[in-house]
Amino acid sequence: MEQEIQELPESQVLTPGSPVSNDGYQVRLEIFEGPLDLLLFLIRKKKIDIHDIPIAVITRDYLEYLERKEQINLDREAEFLLIAALLIYIKSQMLLPREQEALQADDPRQILVDRLLEFQKVKVACSLLREKEEDQLLRWKRTFLPPVARPEEAELLEVSLYDLAETFFLLMKKRERENLQVIRGKDVSVEEKMKEMVGYLKSRGSMDFLEYFSSQETLEEALVSFFCLLELVKNHLVVAVQEQLFQTIRVWLRRPRTQPHGHSHE
Amino acid sequence: MNEQLKAILEALIFISQEPLTLNKIKEVLEEVPEDELQAALEALLADYAADSRGIQVIQSAGGYLFTTKPEHDQWIRRLLQIEKKTKLSSAALETLSIIAYHQPITQAEISAIRGVDSTYCLKTLLQKKLIKIVGRKKAPGNPLVYRTSERFLQYFGLNSLEDLPREEEIAKILEEEKQAIS
Repeated sequence: MEQEIQELPESQVLTPGSPVSNDGYQVRLEIFEGPLDLLLFLIRKKKIDIHDIPIAVITRDYLEYLERKEQINLDREAEFLLIAALLIYIKSQMLLPREQEALQADDPRQILVDRLLEFQKVKVACSLLREKEEDQLLRWKRTFLPPVARPEEAELLEVSLYDLAETFFLLMKKRERENLQVIRGKDVSVEEKMKEMVGYLKSRGSMDFLEYFSSQETLEEALVSFFCLLELVKNHLVVAVQEQLFQTIRVWLRRPRTQPHGHSHE
Repeated sequence: MNEQLKAILEALIFISQEPLTLNKIKEVLEEVPEDELQAALEALLADYAADSRGIQVIQSAGGYLFTTKPEHDQWIRRLLQIEKKTKLSSAALETLSIIAYHQPITQAEISAIRGVDSTYCLKTLLQKKLIKIVGRKKAPGNPLVYRTSERFLQYFGLNSLEDLPREEEIAKILEEEKQAIS
């Protein structure tokens, strides 16, 4: 341990807050998956034997990484702090004089070493699996091909009104940019439009709503078509499905089981 | 006869969405003796291994499956207009490999090994169906217990969990790294 303390001044000639470490390149905390990842990195960088870690040196390096952050984000960095506390605890254990010789056999560093060894294995396993992943990604399987969407498909998520509204605003923005010059007096009623949409759905089976919306002549009509969609969803006449956020919404007629009020679409 | 059997096997593998297991093949072709099946299968594999083919039959997750060859990746991506396939994030891969080697395992146990909370990663992996919940542990709080799924094997092209890189293999790599450092 004495050695350790003597080593410090020469190995750590960093001014506090210096962004660049002594070997000239900066590594930010964000790139580490976790505290153990950072510890392993420091241990390797210093070419330290994992079974004989100079705790003081490593703790100082480790804390220096944490100090580079101006603010500690507790959600993420709490785990880093936890290991910092462990390091300091281990150091304190090592400094305390032991009563019995026998007790000196168990090294307070052992808990840390065990965890690091285990974690090291995980890292290697990861890199081996990554190779396999990369190889497999080059071999295409028939199952990968995007299947033709059918309404029965369970994996599709039915969209909520909220999703619809979000898409609506997206579409509005788009139209706003495109359609500045169009001012035309054509009244479109919700009912008419709804009939038109149901007709469209009946003849084609399904509808790409984004496409439909954009194909409307006027902004007004486009707006009305959106209200119609909401109305149809609300009355359980259609199913609206979005495979992913910001993707198009697909619309199908619902198979009528119980006839919802009013709107006959038969 | 043998040629015909080979053709039947080819058709069965072709039409299967998931890797077609030998058991399934036996079920379908129950009237054919097993050694004949085996011979036909091997002949089929050999046929497809030829360089002139764009498709091969591989063994994955305990079954047989058609895949394209790695060297044709760029053409397929051009056809499907896919820039790149997404890989798992390193956090997700880390979590997944811990589950693979320590299953069955709980969230707390995974997080302890990683030194990082793994709840979010587990959610992602469940969504990707690479892991599954197999029950609860009889411990305080009855935490959920996780295992890798069939799709995990398929994803990494493993035939079974036995195919995971072995402890010795990992130890050897660590030893080499150590030597490289010092």
